[in-house]
Amino acid sequence: MATAKKNSLNTPENEGGGHGGETTAETRWGLSIDLDKCTGCQACVVACHAENNVPVVGEEETAYGRSAHWLRIERYWEGEYPNVKAKFMPVMCQQCTDAPCEAVCPVYATYHSDEGLNGQIYNRCIGTRFCGSACPYKTRMYNWFDPIYPEPLAEQLNPDVTVRSRGIMEKCTFCVQRIRRTQEDAKAEGRDVQDGEIAPACVQSCPTDAFTFGNLNDSESAVSQEARSSRAFRLLDNLGTGPAVIYLKGGETRV
Amino acid sequence: MKKATLSRRSFLKLVGGAAAAGATVGAMPVAAKKVGEHFEPYVVPPEEALPGKATWYATTCRMCAAGCGIMVRTINGRAKKIEGNPSYPLNDGKTCARGQAGLQALYNPDRLRNAVKQNGRESRIFEPLHWETALSSLMDKIEAADPANIIFFGGVMADNLYYVTSRWLEAIGAPPPLQYDLHAALEGRATSAKAAKKLFGTMQQPIYDIANADVIFSFGANFVETWMSPVSYSRAYSKFRGQTGGRGYLVQFEPRMSATAATADQWVPIRPGMDGLVALALGKILGGGSFSGMYHNIDIKEIAHASGIELDTLKKMARILANADHPVVVPGGTPAGHSNGYDSYLAIHSLNLILNQLGREGGVYISPNSPAEALEAAPMPNSFADVEALIERMNGGEVEILFVHGANPVFELPQAAAFKEALANVPYIVSFSSFVDETAVQSDLILPDNTYLESWGYQVASSGGDRPAVASQQPIVERMYDTRSTTEVIMALAKEMGGAAAKALPWESEILFMEDMSGSIYGSSLTPYTTKTGKEFWAAFRQHGGWWANKKLSAEPEAVGFKNSPLPVAAPNFDGRAREYPLFLHPYPSVSLSDGRGANLPWLQEAPDPMTTAAWNTWVEMNPQTAHKYGVHDNDVVKIISPNGEIEARVVVYPGIRPDVVAIPVGQGHEDYGRYAQKRGSNPMDLVGTITDPKTGALAWASARVRIERTGRKEKLARLESLHGHGKEELT
Repeated sequence: MATAKKNSLNTPENEGGGHGGETTAETRWGLSIDLDKCTGCQACVVACHAENNVPVVGEEETAYGRSAHWLRIERYWEGEYPNVKAKFMPVMCQQCTDAPCEAVCPVYATYHSDEGLNGQIYNRCIGTRFCGSACPYKTRMYNWFDPIYPEPLAEQLNPDVTVRSRGIMEKCTFCVQRIRRTQEDAKAEGRDVQDGEIAPACVQSCPTDAFTFGNLNDSESAVSQEARSSRAFRLLDNLGTGPAVIYLKGGETRV
Repeated sequence: MKKATLSRRSFLKLVGGAAAAGATVGAMPVAAKKVGEHFEPYVVPPEEALPGKATWYATTCRMCAAGCGIMVRTINGRAKKIEGNPSYPLNDGKTCARGQAGLQALYNPDRLRNAVKQNGRESRIFEPLHWETALSSLMDKIEAADPANIIFFGGVMADNLYYVTSRWLEAIGAPPPLQYDLHAALEGRATSAKAAKKLFGTMQQPIYDIANADVIFSFGANFVETWMSPVSYSRAYSKFRGQTGGRGYLVQFEPRMSATAATADQWVPIRPGMDGLVALALGKILGGGSFSGMYHNIDIKEIAHASGIELDTLKKMARILANADHPVVVPGGTPAGHSNGYDSYLAIHSLNLILNQLGREGGVYISPNSPAEALEAAPMPNSFADVEALIERMNGGEVEILFVHGANPVFELPQAAAFKEALANVPYIVSFSSFVDETAVQSDLILPDNTYLESWGYQVASSGGDRPAVASQQPIVERMYDTRSTTEVIMALAKEMGGAAAKALPWESEILFMEDMSGSIYGSSLTPYTTKTGKEFWAAFRQHGGWWANKKLSAEPEAVGFKNSPLPVAAPNFDGRAREYPLFLHPYPSVSLSDGRGANLPWLQEAPDPMTTAAWNTWVEMNPQTAHKYGVHDNDVVKIISPNGEIEARVVVYPGIRPDVVAIPVGQGHEDYGRYAQKRGSNPMDLVGTITDPKTGALAWASARVRIERTGRKEKLARLESLHGHGKEELT
């Protein structure tokens, strides 16, 4: 039963404002990111573009802050020269349990799946951008223009993923097409999906294995074990959004 | 299956479908049957080409020289996604940003779609040619030329192409291919091989076992970004951080904080060109044991002063090395970019010797190279001095035909070398570029090669990994256009010439050549899969994406070149006087654009630089103190002037750089090379002079001094981060 698999995410630090994204459903997709291993190399960023038909907006639009990356690597400076450090942090949709973006959509284009995914129904979206304003993580991307694919560049498009048109909000889906494909393949073979079998594009490409994807509600899964790590934290946890993305803070070696 | 009778309707389908048929002749899909040897329309689809069902093919990535194994997802004959090949030991199923973007080389709208001749150099007016016409006119030129005056200029060449080209050139009496590209210069590839030759008696690249090291001292080795085999080293870095009983300690010595330095535990902002001297100081403090003679006469205080590293820091660093169980010291790109690069490499490697880490776990090994003699890796790249000698020959009218493949010397070489000007003295220039790049614009004939996803080939893993491995490259999709593989063009030329040339390349086709070459490893006891016949092996070789040893197998370096006598490291030479040009220029390879070859791929243009989060243009990084001194802020356009030239770039105030250094990424500033690349940004190589390391002839690309002048203009740089919080945003 689902309760038997439920993990113990209600640690003291998660109580109060936030919670750890746990639900009572059998499956709650989650992603952990080990910041000690992220090197900022951008492999995940390009992999995401390729897998999800994320448009390239060009120099001018990028300068306006309109680049469409579903996944970005933030870089934070700490200290001053010469004792300066830079830290990387990949940020994508946090697939919140209580998602601020869901409540504000006037046309129910944002919804919550029973596997905990925070979905966007493109053909329902009318482009109010309320969800983008409500999202504290700034991971919802608005299509200011139609994407341009000079012939034959459109051949690169993934047929499993819709191409979004102008006026549509889009965002990270945890590569839901890959989740579905794996689930269908497993079903056809009459078995359960194995832990680690599903890899979103960012997870698959990452040269340092910084990402771990899996079911947070399965206490045996690698991702839920990482979620219980003493290094684990969630982004803007105090807002109470219940993210399904868990960060493991970078370590420090003292000599 | 019902036998189809050829009605008029299906005949039309056959004719229409033939061009789009996705069945790639001879390519082996993973876990699927071999495709028929003839075109099939989709009314009778190839067995694995079910609508909506993906087929995966294994091949080799060619976005850099490392040669990772990749798997390409194809649907209905079109490549849709590139992933790492999980079986291939070099990259272990992983890819980098550039590897991911390969589809955009294949489907790039600016690709040349057939052979062309240019009506007047730089006219950019191209006339399509039939391949027969193009090759016969080329044959005429070759027959009329003195073979000694035929030059093949390659980048760091694919192993299969080097093999074929060098045999052909040898047979006709021409000099061997000249391999040079900017990426290889920026990572110190030739310097590394020459130092290995001297110290370990081998031309193979050293491999650094950072996965099992507990302390890494890296002198400018950007091993998680662009250096040598970045995916392989990133895999190792992950293990380094994940080891039991600690997470390792990485120290990066570099004038500018790179992404590798950002991931390090400590970044030491070393003065440019001081890497070797700092290594000597560390050795002196460590004592050197039976090699203490190497550090005779070393004055640590003097080096501390000259390198900008405090004496206490140096002592602390030496202590970290001394206390480590498995330390490794890695010489990378930046030390090789100075006139004392070779000596710096010797001094840095000596630390591995006195730490007793040669051939030990977590230390230094030698690339295992190939399992078979026939399948050897191409030799190390040539030096800049060899390119200068070529320029001199061109100016002297001693080059009649110049072939250019896989490199863009007009863009990549310093303007000061005057390569472009020298081309005017070459009567016939042939480019094999898939795109009209700056060098193709100077050529008379362009014979576009297939892109790598349409090509055959193999690559011996020679700059990373822990075992012998050969990646197999096979066409993933049918050729998009009327392009032709350069390997096959050379085979055709050899056949046409007959005699020794035809004998040197006896294969009927590229595929038979590949089959023959891969056959040389058939029967090895180290095989990861068992096959009963040669034919079966050839199929498995393609299907698995190559061949690799089924166990770890690294060669131990023999310390043949070390002497117990003082190691001389001269002070580096710089271009320009300090009074006139107070700042050092630090050009660095872009994580996404490499040396500029990635600039025509929109995914890579849009991928932000990890440190500045900037994209699509060129910027100059300045320490806040320096920016203040010059009265410039973010987005101010400044002129950067060296004795060799000047460029403009937008200022990025950058906390991770020495105040006496400015850094500019290489990769932008293309005049040509397609819509996504051209007319944006500037090329810092325009500022670099022709100072070389006298011991190796390597280009001292970090030897330019510059000054900054304000233009008064402001142009917004496209950046991901907002500038309000100076990268330290806090939500309150």
